[in-house]
Amino acid sequence: MLLLLTIGALATPGFLSTPSIVALLTSMSFIGCVAVGMTFITLSGNIMSLCLGVTLSASSLIFISGLAFGIVPALVLAIGFGIAITACQGFLVGYLQANPIIVSISALALMLGTADLITGGQRIYPPGDGLDILTGNLFGVPVEVIFLISSVGIGQVILSYTRFGLRIYMVGTNLNAAQAAGVSIWRTITGSYMLAGLFAAIAGILLSARYGSGDMELGIGYDYDAIAAVLVGGTAIHGGEGSVLRTLLGVAVVSVIQVVLLLHGFSQQMQYLMTGLIVLTVIMLHSMGEEHS
Amino acid sequence: MSNSPPHRNPLSNTPILSVENLSKSFGPVEALKSISVSFHSGEIRAICGENGAGKSTLVKILTGVFLPDQGTIRINDLVCHLGHPKVAQQHGMAMVTQELSLAPHLSVEDNIWLGNSIVPLFHRQRHLRYKARQVLELIGLDSLDLSQPVGSLSIGERQLVEIARMLARQARVLILDEPTAGLSDVEIDRIFNALRALRSNGTTVIYVTHKLGEVFELCDAVTVLRNGKLVRTCPVKEMNRESLVHLMLGRSAQEMYQPSQKTRESPMLVVKDLQVPGLVTNFSLNVSSGQIVSIAGQIGSGATQVVRSMAGLVHNATGSVQICGNNVPLRSVTGAQASQIRFISEDRAREGIFLRLNVLENLIATRLESMFVAWSVLRDIATTLARMVGVDDSRLEARAGELSGGNQQKLAFGRSMGRKQPGVFLMNEPTRGIDVGSRLDIYKIMRKLCDDGNLVVMTSSDLEEVLGISDVVITMYRGAQVNCYTRGQVTMHNVLTDITHPQMRERKEEL
Repeated sequence: MLLLLTIGALATPGFLSTPSIVALLTSMSFIGCVAVGMTFITLSGNIMSLCLGVTLSASSLIFISGLAFGIVPALVLAIGFGIAITACQGFLVGYLQANPIIVSISALALMLGTADLITGGQRIYPPGDGLDILTGNLFGVPVEVIFLISSVGIGQVILSYTRFGLRIYMVGTNLNAAQAAGVSIWRTITGSYMLAGLFAAIAGILLSARYGSGDMELGIGYDYDAIAAVLVGGTAIHGGEGSVLRTLLGVAVVSVIQVVLLLHGFSQQMQYLMTGLIVLTVIMLHSMGEEHS
Repeated sequence: MSNSPPHRNPLSNTPILSVENLSKSFGPVEALKSISVSFHSGEIRAICGENGAGKSTLVKILTGVFLPDQGTIRINDLVCHLGHPKVAQQHGMAMVTQELSLAPHLSVEDNIWLGNSIVPLFHRQRHLRYKARQVLELIGLDSLDLSQPVGSLSIGERQLVEIARMLARQARVLILDEPTAGLSDVEIDRIFNALRALRSNGTTVIYVTHKLGEVFELCDAVTVLRNGKLVRTCPVKEMNRESLVHLMLGRSAQEMYQPSQKTRESPMLVVKDLQVPGLVTNFSLNVSSGQIVSIAGQIGSGATQVVRSMAGLVHNATGSVQICGNNVPLRSVTGAQASQIRFISEDRAREGIFLRLNVLENLIATRLESMFVAWSVLRDIATTLARMVGVDDSRLEARAGELSGGNQQKLAFGRSMGRKQPGVFLMNEPTRGIDVGSRLDIYKIMRKLCDDGNLVVMTSSDLEEVLGISDVVITMYRGAQVNCYTRGQVTMHNVLTDITHPQMRERKEEL
C-alpha cells in the first residue's frame, strides 16, 4: 500500500515541486500535532477523542483574543486552556470510569455552544500583527514543521523513556493489572489527555497564526484526520500497542493522499471520502488480523 | 443389560470409542504421537498430563475440531471420520466446555433444546418438556424450574444444565475439561453425583483434570499423557498419588512440599479487626516471618477478600494491618507496596500480568522508581529476576501471552521478588491452572521466599495444597475466621468441616 502510494504520488505532476512539498509538510504538521496527542489517548486504552478538533479551534480563538495582552500571555492562555479542558475529560474518564467517547462528544458540544455564545459565530482577528515568528521559516524550514518534529520527538521520548510513558502502555493493555501493580489509573489517563490537549492547542495556535484569525471552523476535520493517522500508523484501537513514530507514518500517508487528491483537482468532499475509506480499510484489516492470530 | 452395573468392570467390555495410532502435528510440533486408547460405556475416565502433554489436542480430535494427521477413530466398532464438530455430535460425542455456552436470558428448557437438531420451530410441546425434565432428573436437578432463566442459576447449576443439554442431544460420550474450576465444594459434589448417575446409566465420561484428588475421588480409570505420547492407562485402584505424579512427570516429585527451615522470629504481620462490609467480619492475624500461611475457605468465605484488602484492592475495607510494627494503609495499592506488601493475583489474564507487553516490561512493572527509564539498568534487573524464577532470560522480548501458564505465573512472582527488604507476599490461588511441573517450581519459589525472611499469605481452593505447603492454616466460613492451626495439628477432616459447616462441629464438641 505504501508502495502504491509512493508511485501514485510521484506520478502526480507537480507533486515534487517545492511549493507542493512545503504544502504537504505544513499540512502534515497540523494533522501531526493533533495526531500525536490522539496517540496518547488511544494508547491509554480510551479509543479516541472526538473533540480535539474543537479544542484546536477554541485554542485558536483564545490565542487570538489573548494577543491583546501580548504574545506570551496569549500562548500561555491558549495552551493552558487546551490542557485544562482535556484534563477535565481525562479525570472523568480515568477517575469516574466514564465512557471516553461520550465524554468527548459532550465536551465537543459544550465547547461549540460556549464559543458560539461568546463570538456569535464570528471569526475574530488579532489586534495587530506580530505573529511572524509563528509563520516564518527557520533555516528555510517552515516553523510548523519544526513544531511537528519537536512534538513527535517529545512524544516518543515520553513514551519510551519515562515512567509515565510505560505506565500509559500498562494502563492501556490491562487496566486491572496496572491497578494491581500500583499504577495510579486516573493520573496516567489524565496525563495522557493533558498531552493531547497540549498538542491540540499548539496546532490551534499555529493554524490561527497562519490564517491570521481565530475561528471555530479552523479545526473541522482535524480530529478525523488524526484518528485516521493513528489507525493507519498501526496503533491498536484497544490501547497499549503503538507509538508516536508510527503515528507520524500514518500522518504522512493521510497527508500525501490529500495533497495528491488536491493536485488532481478533487474537491474537499472527495478527500473526506478517501480518508473515510482508509480508516474503514485499516479497521477491517486489523480486525481480520486479530481473528487469525 | 445384565444385573451387574456396567461400571464394575469397565476394561473388559467392547469399547464404545477407541482410537488407534492417532497422530497430530502443528507445524514442527508433534502434539500427539501415535496414541491408541479405548473408552468403555459406563466408565469415568480421567485424562491427566502436564500442560502441553496433548490432552486438549486429543479432546479436540474426538469432538471433531481438529482432523488427525494419522490414525483411526472407531465408535461402536465402526470407523468414523469426525471432520467437523457437527459430525462428532451426530456420533454422540459431546463436549462440556469450560466457558459455558448457555444463553443466560433464556429459560432452562430453552437452553436444553438450544441448537438441537430434532427440535421443530415451535417447540413448547409436552413431550419435549417431559424429556427435558427427564435429563434433569438424571443428573439430580429434579427441583429446577424449567422456566427459570439460566442467568439466575449458580455456576455449578449452569454446568449441570450444560451437561443436561448434551444428554438431550443423545450424547453417549461426555467430555469434560476441568469442569470444577471455580466451583465451591458443594457444587463440585453435585457435579460428581451427576456424573456418577450418568455412569450407571451407561454413559462414558471423559474427564480432563489437573486436580489429582478428583481422579481418585471420581474416576474408574486414568489415562496419562506425556509429551504427546500415551504413558499408560490403568484402573485408578492400582494407582496412588505418587505413582500418578510419577507417570505424569516422568520423574518422581521428591518432596513436593518442603517444610520451612527457619526458626520463628518476632511477629511480622499483625492484622486486627479487618472488615469488608458483607464479606469479611473481624478478621485478625498475628504471624511471624519465614512461614507460609494459608487461608482456607470456599467461594464466598471471604478468604480472597482478606488477601485482596491487605493488598489495597478493596475500596471499602477497614481495620488495622501492621507489618513489622508499621501501619499499612488500607485501600491503597501504592501504600501497600510502600509497606513491602507484594500481591500476586489469582486471575493472571485479568489483573496478574500484562499479556500483551513483553516479559521484560512485565518483570519491571513495579520497579519504575525514577521519572526517566534507564533501560540498561532495568534489563539487568529483569535478567536477574527471570533467572531467579526460572524463566528463560533469552525470552525477555517475547510477549508474556506467548508463555505457558506456569511461566506467566513465574513472571508474576518475579515482578515482586528481588527486593532488599523482606516483605509480605500475598497470593490467591498461586497454582491455579498450572501444570504439575511448574507447580513444583512455584512451591520451591515460595519456600525460598520464606527462607529469605519473607512471609507468604495465600488462599487456595486445593485443600491438598493447603495442607501440604502451609505452616499455618486459617479456616474461614461465611466471612468469619473459624480456626487457626499450625503444621502438625491440622487434618483434612478438620479443615473440611470448618469451611463447610463449622457449627456442626461445635455441636459435636459440646456433646
